[in-house]
Amino acid sequence: MIQIKAYKMLHTAEGELPLDISLTIEKGQFVSIYGNSGAGKTTILRILAGLTRAENGYIKVGNEIWDDSQKKFHLPVQKRSIGFVFQDFALFPNLTVKENLKFALSKNESDEMVAELIELMELQSLQDNKPHQLSGGQKQRVALARAIVRKPEILLLDEPLSALDDEMRFKLQDYILKIHQKYQLTTFMISHVIAEIFKLSDKVIVLEKGKIAKEGTPNSVFAGQKLSSKFQLTGEIISIAKSDILYIIQVSSGNNIIKVTALEEEAKDFKIGQKVLLASKAFNPIIQIL
Amino acid sequence: MMNIINGIITNIESHEGMSLIKVRSNDVIFTAIVLDTPETSDYLKIENDVNVIFKETEVMISKDLTPNISVQNKLHCVIESIQNGVILSQINLRYDQQIIKSIITRNACEQLDLKEKDTVLALIKTNEVSLSAHD
Repeated sequence: MIQIKAYKMLHTAEGELPLDISLTIEKGQFVSIYGNSGAGKTTILRILAGLTRAENGYIKVGNEIWDDSQKKFHLPVQKRSIGFVFQDFALFPNLTVKENLKFALSKNESDEMVAELIELMELQSLQDNKPHQLSGGQKQRVALARAIVRKPEILLLDEPLSALDDEMRFKLQDYILKIHQKYQLTTFMISHVIAEIFKLSDKVIVLEKGKIAKEGTPNSVFAGQKLSSKFQLTGEIISIAKSDILYIIQVSSGNNIIKVTALEEEAKDFKIGQKVLLASKAFNPIIQIL
Repeated sequence: MMNIINGIITNIESHEGMSLIKVRSNDVIFTAIVLDTPETSDYLKIENDVNVIFKETEVMISKDLTPNISVQNKLHCVIESIQNGVILSQINLRYDQQIIKSIITRNACEQLDLKEKDTVLALIKTNEVSLSAHD
């Protein structure tokens, strides 16, 4: 079990914001942290890692205390059993893939784990390459392998896939899941992609302005509880056009533009730029493999 | 704003994540099918106040008042008014004190020879009815 309590004043673009959270995580869980930028997501990971100190904090991992501000106790970052990967995790440019992995080992550790990870992460053909010879996805695969070379208890991922295209994202998600399960890690991942959160996580925490707004399984957190419709999107009205006795409302949602019909009396309340919810019964959409 | 009718849940039958819900509004019972159960959704409780929601374009009209048809939601209505477009017609219907609207093709409207004050049956398939917690 991992207990985290943290209070820290954040200095954000919109002024001061208190980060104030209390969390209990089961060992082996995959936890996603979701929220707007500036909500304090990265700060939570940094506090867990020991890179940032909370003004008031208590972290207990298993039976081990990592932080106890009341007793002025702070376990330094190098003594915490963690691995982390950030969005732009820098590999050592002058070292090969294999050397990058070996460098993460402590002095007396055998490099058995390096060989195992090279195989598991399918880095065999890349192991003698230097980072500049790798694609973005390959670099993050190496960064992931390096993060767990020392078999940490906790893996911290700060939007590690956000710079990658969809295809690469999907592959890397599979690798993340594979190492999470094989090494029985407790993983914390910051992500703003709901589909990714559904695929990977046991638990999701929604952070709003430094506070936990919701937590639970992805299903319970993201599924609309108020309206039974299962086909729901939010978006912004981009055009309103009359069509016979109806109006066609175009809504932009993510990368999609969706058209919905509305009655005249509904349409007169709509304005371009308005945020709207689109909902349809789960029975209506047709689903096809692309 | 869509067809929204307030009612009270009178029956819930759930199986493998799906529920058949009966909602009573005055003397009319609506049937809705939803991919929720009382375990997954707080609002699914007998006696709970809910809104029954369905889009105008999902409301069929029948002149036969006792059709032998699979559609579960059948409302006896009187036509209040008809607005014709070129392709579509909007039929404004009244039952009890409620107004509901139907959008059908103008061809259908003419074939049925629909007129104001006609008594008709409004039909809505069970799977076109959404429920929302009333708040």
